[in-house]
Amino acid sequence: MTERQPSAARRRFLGDNPERLGWLFVVPALALVIIFRIVPLIWGFGTSFTDYNGMVAPRFIGLANYASLTHDPVFMDSIVNMLILLATLPIWIGLPLVLAILIHQGVPGGKLFRAVYFFPAVLSSVIVGAIFNMLLRYDGSFNAMLKGIGLSPVDWLGNSSTALFSLIAVQLWATFGMSLLIFLAGLSTVPSDMLEAAKLDGAKLMATWWYIVIPSIRPIIEFAAVVTTIGMLTSMFGLIYVLTAGGPGTSTTLPEFLIWLEQGRMNRPGYASAISMVLFAMMAGLAFIQIRIMSRNASL
Amino acid sequence: MAAVETRQKRLLAVIALPMALLALSAVYPVFFTINAALKTRKGFVLDRFGLATDATFANFGQAWNQSRLSEYFTNSVVVTIGAVLALLLISSFAGYALAILRFRGSKIVFAIILVSLMIPVQVVLVPFYRTMIALDLINSRAGLVIAYTAFFLPFSVYLMTAFYARLPRELFEAAQIDGAGLVQIWWHIMLPMGKPALLTLGILNTLYCWNDVLISLLVLQDKRTLMVGIAALRGEYTTNVPLLAAGIVLAAAPIVLIYIVFQRQIVSGIAVGAVKG
Amino acid sequence: MTLTRRALCAGTMLAAAFAVSVGVASADTTLTVWDWKSGDPTTQPYFDAVKKDFEAAHPGVTVKYVMQPHDQYYTLLGTAISAGQGPDVVLLHGGSQTKERTGALVKLDDNIADIKGRIAGWPEFTGADGDAYAVPISIQGFAVYYNKDLWQKAGLDPNKTPKNWADLEAVCAALKKAGTTCFALGNKEGFGADFFLSAVAANGWTAAQQEAWTKGDLKWSSPEVKAIVDAWVATKGAGWYAEGANSTAKFMDEYESFERGENANTIGLISDVAHWMEFDDFLGADKVGVYVMPPVAGGDGSLKLPLAGGIGYGVTNFSPNKDLAIALAKSFADTPHMQVFFESAGAIPADTKVDTSKVESPSAKQILAWLADGVPLAHNNMSTAETEEWHRQSQLLFTGETTVDKALARMDEVQAQAKKK
Repeated sequence: MTERQPSAARRRFLGDNPERLGWLFVVPALALVIIFRIVPLIWGFGTSFTDYNGMVAPRFIGLANYASLTHDPVFMDSIVNMLILLATLPIWIGLPLVLAILIHQGVPGGKLFRAVYFFPAVLSSVIVGAIFNMLLRYDGSFNAMLKGIGLSPVDWLGNSSTALFSLIAVQLWATFGMSLLIFLAGLSTVPSDMLEAAKLDGAKLMATWWYIVIPSIRPIIEFAAVVTTIGMLTSMFGLIYVLTAGGPGTSTTLPEFLIWLEQGRMNRPGYASAISMVLFAMMAGLAFIQIRIMSRNASL
Repeated sequence: MAAVETRQKRLLAVIALPMALLALSAVYPVFFTINAALKTRKGFVLDRFGLATDATFANFGQAWNQSRLSEYFTNSVVVTIGAVLALLLISSFAGYALAILRFRGSKIVFAIILVSLMIPVQVVLVPFYRTMIALDLINSRAGLVIAYTAFFLPFSVYLMTAFYARLPRELFEAAQIDGAGLVQIWWHIMLPMGKPALLTLGILNTLYCWNDVLISLLVLQDKRTLMVGIAALRGEYTTNVPLLAAGIVLAAAPIVLIYIVFQRQIVSGIAVGAVKG
Repeated sequence: MTLTRRALCAGTMLAAAFAVSVGVASADTTLTVWDWKSGDPTTQPYFDAVKKDFEAAHPGVTVKYVMQPHDQYYTLLGTAISAGQGPDVVLLHGGSQTKERTGALVKLDDNIADIKGRIAGWPEFTGADGDAYAVPISIQGFAVYYNKDLWQKAGLDPNKTPKNWADLEAVCAALKKAGTTCFALGNKEGFGADFFLSAVAANGWTAAQQEAWTKGDLKWSSPEVKAIVDAWVATKGAGWYAEGANSTAKFMDEYESFERGENANTIGLISDVAHWMEFDDFLGADKVGVYVMPPVAGGDGSLKLPLAGGIGYGVTNFSPNKDLAIALAKSFADTPHMQVFFESAGAIPADTKVDTSKVESPSAKQILAWLADGVPLAHNNMSTAETEEWHRQSQLLFTGETTVDKALARMDEVQAQAKKK
């Protein structure tokens, strides 16, 4: 190590002071985030108090947008849908986590699975949507299969009771490969001799997972939970657009889709901003709770 | 003890079966896309699931020309590489600073990053566009690199921070006692140690940048990226699925090829980074 | 001395350079056009012709088409409008999408006197102030296309089209008996319900009622509208449609099922897609028939095609080259260009001078004959908020989650809110 020591002056400038270097190292990230995300957020917050339509100068209308949200049945339904979606979070985390652990523990064909599970994520939501559109429609192959085993067909995407769950299932299928990859990276930090030791002790598979593997990647699970929650709430637009267009009725209208509708087709950026702010507040609140719950043991 | 091991092995083998089915379902769209790309539009309308009997490559040619893929390909490559490198560098800096150095105020910085992760894209579109105009970054590839870096950075910083926080602190302290400077520690310890996370981020960010349509639409209006060209293959009413499928095969091919070719390096990279503890 | 000379020299050169650069800038103008169509091979010859002719007529001007994906079109346009920077000329849908954006468009009235008589479809591009804001290039309308083979198989005379609602009910009953689905219907996005509303209202409402509808004065709960919503539910009950309308996209799942011969009738368009040219291609020109949807009630017995301006070109008020941009917008509607548009894409052009005599398709001939005397397209004249809500309610009426009365009450509410604005 000694021969690589830089000159004392340079070290004093960069190397010695964690305070100074810490700031220096986060400045690029912080600057980009503030300029391109935080400032626009504040701008959007301001817009949400106006009747802005993109053309005429915005007029301040106080809380009127937020007040009309409370009696907008479409918005209310979208929030309910969002809560239903959020209730499925354990599956979104559990499924890829279990698969990742299985691959990590050397399930036969694991390497192949890891490569292949990622395919749906590579294809865009347009193609995924086009395929499931054909599989799930009333005269589609899925119903043909059901008929084959003597069950009655269901209009998966055309029924308020099944549309949202069908949509969630397709999105889960299309994205679990991403979480899987993140979990695998996390698992690679689990000391392998710890696992060996547990095996030697004759610990059951489940016990090894529960007491050794899962606690040791807790920050990654926490990370995946937050990121997945955000993904669920902000990146389902493509699939909604292709698969259900928000219907039937409002059954698959999520806040994100409603924002797009109000901002684009309805041309009401002011109102759309108000919805965005509510969505943002809910996401922030959720992430806060998640981090609180999950980082009890983590060091951050 | 051996019995436990064989039982576990048998259990894993049984579990492999449903996993193989899931894998099959994940491969199916790839097959479907390629198959559809080989059909004519009329042939596809009349028979959507059957094998393409009279395979035609006309869709590939049409997709290539109509969406001007040759012209857009370079843009996508340049912008994706630029943005991914910037993302990896900046997020590894920031992760090190936030998880290991922990300067005064690092918690606030981390909170700001977290908050920015939760901002829906739709709400920042207009102000974002105005900022880009004000900084004269519209219609330049550098502008798109900056935009991508800014948009995908919170996720990357968050992952790097979570990952570095997981590393045993003794590593850092031992290096300090050895007399290594903080920059050296980043270069000699943090970067190699962060390899699994950096590789994962590399893959995910490459996908995000490569597949993005919305940000690219706003920033690059003259020169466009590949995915924008593909997105434009969808008309107002009609989706000519075979044509779109051909476009998607062309656009996804480089990514899939890279993934397959470097699969081994990626795998071993993730394994090498494992903490021997 | 030398210093002065050098300074002078430099000054002159600078000035010359400046002059050159200014000269280049003014001679080298680019007009940016936003649309969602210019990349489509069927419309390509039309866009190429406009660009070529305009650039030839205006040396130094470059026309640049920027094709945007349709799903993000209005989002992007909204972004450009609120930033006050972006395209010079924009393609717009007639009706509310144009009318709700007139604040960002240039008034065309002084400039279009010369083409006003030749072009049809202006009302859809006219703002609340009575001024035109875009030049229409296509005419949109709803006609019912039918599969003559399937009619014949059901024992129907393929040349005897329904003249009133009872006739149509008889047609569907006969088809049902023969095991054929009567109408193709896709209502995933709610477009099926839009088309149904406009097609059935077309010959059932009086001109005064159509006008009241446009103003938001004809309430949803009024008998004229209720009759149509009742029919929407009743036709489903009578088995006119295949199961799964709510999960079928109108574009193009519905039309593709018609093209596969899975059902006998469909409410189609006359421009863009889902029109005679496409159906002829799949079923054969002699197998495709066309008729006007009869009203469920009311009307004077005549059947006129519901028509409206389809899409058109407007000029943004932040364009630095407004005059050139207006000239370009008008150039899209030049008769020779419109001729190309009609022949390559099969779109019924807004220009009444286009020569359509060479068309051979029987259904196209029929449609062209109807053009002279059309009736309004009701769903085009609803506010966007009403349209979106009607999409939702029409789906809930099919799933049985709401009743006609409840749906109409909700529609009244949305209509009243939209009118207040």
